[in-house]
Amino acid sequence: MSTLPPQRNYKLSDKVDFVVVGCGAAGGVLARELSRNGFSVVVLEQGPWLTTKDFTHDEYMVWNHASLTNDFRKQPTTFRKTPKDKAVKQPALTYGRMVGGGPVHFTANFWRFHEIDFIEASKKGTIAGTGFTDWPITYADLEPYYTKAEWDLGVSGQAGASPFDPPRSKPYPLPPMPVKSSGVLFEEGARKLGYHPFPAPVAILSKPYQGRMACANCGFCMGFGCEMGAKSSPLPTMVPQAIATGRCEIRPHSYVRKIDLDANGRVTGAIYFDQSGKENMQRARAVVLAANGSETPRLLLMSKSNRFPDGLANSSGVVGKYLMFNTDCLTGGLFEHELNDYKGIEVTRVIHDFYEIDAKHGFYGGGGIDARFFFYPISFAQWGLPPKGPQWGKDYKKALQKYFLRSMYLAGHTTSLPVADNSISLDDTVKDAWGLPAMRVTYKDHPDDLKANQFMIDRSMEILEAAGAEDRWNYGVQESNYGFHLLGTCRMGNDPKTSVINPDHRTHDVPNLFLCDGSSFVTSGRGQPTETISALAFRAADRITGLAKRGQV
Amino acid sequence: MFLGQAGASLGLLWLGSMTPELLAQARAHAQSAQATGAKLYRFFTAHQAADFDALAAQIIPTDDTPGAREANVVHFTDFLLSGIDSDQQAQFTDALKALHDQAVKTVPGAKSFAALTSEQQIAAMKAMENTSAFGTLRGFVVTGCFCDPSLGGGNKDQVGWKLIGFKDDFYYAPPFGYYDAHYNEGKG
Repeated sequence: MSTLPPQRNYKLSDKVDFVVVGCGAAGGVLARELSRNGFSVVVLEQGPWLTTKDFTHDEYMVWNHASLTNDFRKQPTTFRKTPKDKAVKQPALTYGRMVGGGPVHFTANFWRFHEIDFIEASKKGTIAGTGFTDWPITYADLEPYYTKAEWDLGVSGQAGASPFDPPRSKPYPLPPMPVKSSGVLFEEGARKLGYHPFPAPVAILSKPYQGRMACANCGFCMGFGCEMGAKSSPLPTMVPQAIATGRCEIRPHSYVRKIDLDANGRVTGAIYFDQSGKENMQRARAVVLAANGSETPRLLLMSKSNRFPDGLANSSGVVGKYLMFNTDCLTGGLFEHELNDYKGIEVTRVIHDFYEIDAKHGFYGGGGIDARFFFYPISFAQWGLPPKGPQWGKDYKKALQKYFLRSMYLAGHTTSLPVADNSISLDDTVKDAWGLPAMRVTYKDHPDDLKANQFMIDRSMEILEAAGAEDRWNYGVQESNYGFHLLGTCRMGNDPKTSVINPDHRTHDVPNLFLCDGSSFVTSGRGQPTETISALAFRAADRITGLAKRGQV
Repeated sequence: MFLGQAGASLGLLWLGSMTPELLAQARAHAQSAQATGAKLYRFFTAHQAADFDALAAQIIPTDDTPGAREANVVHFTDFLLSGIDSDQQAQFTDALKALHDQAVKTVPGAKSFAALTSEQQIAAMKAMENTSAFGTLRGFVVTGCFCDPSLGGGNKDQVGWKLIGFKDDFYYAPPFGYYDAHYNEGKG
């Protein structure tokens, strides 16, 4: 592991302005913004601080040994479909676990939400049995921060290329990435059917930007760290800029177990285990949780007190509830010539023609479809061939030879409705390696989510046919029992009875406690949440700075 | 939710983080075993190694191109199960026992799966191909064929990657494939 960069070091006894828990898509942004705005900041990150030198193309270690993600052996999870079921110990979710967070290992699709995402319930009506409701902020409120995210992180794309795009105040800072064969075929098929394919917006540098190198098209984005530093996570951007202020300290291997509350109902700091297992407390004037949509509610639920017997800032009882994963689906197609789709970034073309599926189909939902490379060599041999074809033997070997270079996959990304029973809670019996209650995941897709998923499979199969695929296959609609996108568990709202944070990201219950990450979402968006998490963090930093400078924290 | 299914399946194989130091030790051991020509297994019995080798050779056979045998699947799996995947030893042993039991069921009196004729082996595999035991064994075979060759000597000489046409060159310039090379000719 590389040596950490020199940085400001605070003492535990120093009462810093802010402790930020988590250094990912939101925490990294908050660290830079708050430290630039003059505040002293300590960031407690449970994962390691890796650098580009630590990243590899080793599929087995990255995907099977969780080298960049939460580790089931040390941090077990349990899963059940409904609160009536007994939870079973099994892997139930993944998150990026390192300085830089999920964006270090993500595929880098970087979509803005559209205007409709914030006001959908009032436009379409509420849905029985769900917490489907409008956000208390609008697209217009967030637009400047989407722009800031794109320019400060470095995003490649083509403004105006999709007729469904929301208005934007500035174009993308970088042109789109080079189109791959999957993008060309997808574009051809989609246009034949009257759809509107456009270059995928991605948090990857198509050209050198702000002293960073451009993408080398090595192909290892999904799940991997970028050894060029060309993926625009907080790691090569926000983190060094925060350190450079001289006011920010990032402490990796810091696993927070409790947020401390005083007799006046204000938080006083974070209690955490360091790498040696020693318990420390970092004192702070205010605390911001940006630990992701599963760890933020878990930490609140673990931070019980006399004042908050059901968990910190949980007078509403909705902490951990309304978990949304985004459903996804996959289809594949074989073509006459070699695509060599393992070269280059994963996704180069997308459609948003089904961002809002017409209500005439009888269900709520919507999303996007993209063309992509999906299976690295081991996973290709495991799952990449048509499921009905041979999976071992001489015909399997022939298929492996035939399909790898000549296939592409279409991924559909869709809505998940907020359902109160879908949740993060504390398991009754299973503990993690630190002796803390394991995360219990309860999740059952709303029927409309599965219908939207089937709709996307059907459209994808048509596009593959229109693109001229010789063979087409799909993996069916599967009920979710595993999450990559962790959304909605401390939802934002104006009513303290039905939400956890207000539009300033301040908890309704505790004046100097703020939450900002995927947990803040009110609805799920269409399957690519990271840009919205980052934009919320830029906005939250502005709001929190304003409050602090006015003496209102 | 396909991603979820894949994630959960992978999850069964997940061990957790391996420290770079331990990994380096394990790799050094594997390399020294190869350098000295040592054929001793750290985990497998000779019977288990023979059965697993026979199964691997049926899953990705050697024909006009190399297969699982040339990829060094058995020694690589031994490397994993005696090191970074040691928590899966019981699961793997149970799966090999299921393979042995199926061999006996298919050919009463058979001494081992490896001792069956190729046709008999295929019949035994067809009888158990939808079981989790078969999935466990197949997972290790394909891992040994298609992993990064720097990991413990699997995918030896990149025979798995060569089979499918994959290269890990770290840098590519467009055009990448046939269709983007012809993009300006009016396709799309």
